[in-house]
Amino acid sequence: MNTAGRLEKMLAALLRYGSWSASAAIGLGYALALIGSHSPARNLAVLPNIRIARVGIVLFILLPILRVLLMFLFFVRERDFRFAFISGMVLAIILLGIFLGVPAT
Amino acid sequence: MAGGFSLWLFAVSMAASALGGMLGMAGGIFIVPILTIFGHIEIHTAIGASIISVIACSCGGAAPFLKNRLTNIRLAIVLEIATTTGALTGVVLAGILPVSYLYFIFAAILFISAHQMLARRRAPVLASALSDASHSSDALGLNSSYPDRELGREVTYRVDRVALGMVFMYGAGLISALLGIGSGVLKIPAMDTAMRLPIKVSSATSNFMIGVTAAASAAIYFMRGGIVTEVAGPVAFGSVLGAIVGARMLLIVSNDKLRLLFVVILVVLGVQMLLIVFGVHLIEGSL
Repeated sequence: MNTAGRLEKMLAALLRYGSWSASAAIGLGYALALIGSHSPARNLAVLPNIRIARVGIVLFILLPILRVLLMFLFFVRERDFRFAFISGMVLAIILLGIFLGVPAT
Repeated sequence: MAGGFSLWLFAVSMAASALGGMLGMAGGIFIVPILTIFGHIEIHTAIGASIISVIACSCGGAAPFLKNRLTNIRLAIVLEIATTTGALTGVVLAGILPVSYLYFIFAAILFISAHQMLARRRAPVLASALSDASHSSDALGLNSSYPDRELGREVTYRVDRVALGMVFMYGAGLISALLGIGSGVLKIPAMDTAMRLPIKVSSATSNFMIGVTAAASAAIYFMRGGIVTEVAGPVAFGSVLGAIVGARMLLIVSNDKLRLLFVVILVVLGVQMLLIVFGVHLIEGSL
């Protein structure tokens, strides 16, 4: 089971660095917002910083989806088509939810 | 939004997550009650913020489990078909159910968690003589092994009753999306009892699945504008730091006293969530 160990290492790296990046974006956004809130041009400074924090939140939502995508690609490359199919199904369910779940307003 | 409120959100999330982390579970279950009872935040906004912190704690804590080969990734991806389908059902229900029902269901989950915390987890009877070959899990190659440090050897295990496990997981995914929690409270018994996994494997695999399950609902809530950055940002950041602190303190604090404190908090929050349904506020926030 050498291949399983490789996938585990890749997933661990993706999740670890992904979480760090997302947390860093949120932390940075808020740190800047807190500093900005003491400056005179307060409202002008806060908005872009909140946007940095929002990027962090989007990263957190994308991270598990990327994790499933990585598993899908790995299983396809390993020609393990049963598990490629299963991972593909999980991806499809998530994407279906996004497309059907958003009301067209 | 005022900086003071952001700091309050950050602090309570960090405390909740650290408290959960000390007992080796996610603190997500505290976030929604604290935000609604003390922060007077609308429950859907609180759920949106909580679900992001659930993803953060799952992803942030996954690496050590994966490196120690405790996570059964193949089993996880199979069960995720059920958890993500459940999550979509939960999103639909969250849009339909009146707010009072959400409080009611949340209170019920808090009481179940308190009960589970008192009962403790017992090691499942490992009926895993690997000779028995006529199981669906064998066909999928889900049986596996993990290195047990205490025993100092490789432990092989069999995955039982995957179909029953999937039914539980559908329910866990639904509750996760509906209430913005990781619902380990439903995943762990399914894996311990129904599928008879070793405790370490079921904890690691459950943690691994929680992120994907939560992302399925979080993506939809986000697209609908249900995730408010001003609330979700500090909550997620606080939870990540709290989880790190909690894991460190795991070794210092007495487990039994902590367990009791945990049960008391769960029951108090549960009672207050129930009372909100009837318009009674016993414990009032200072903010």
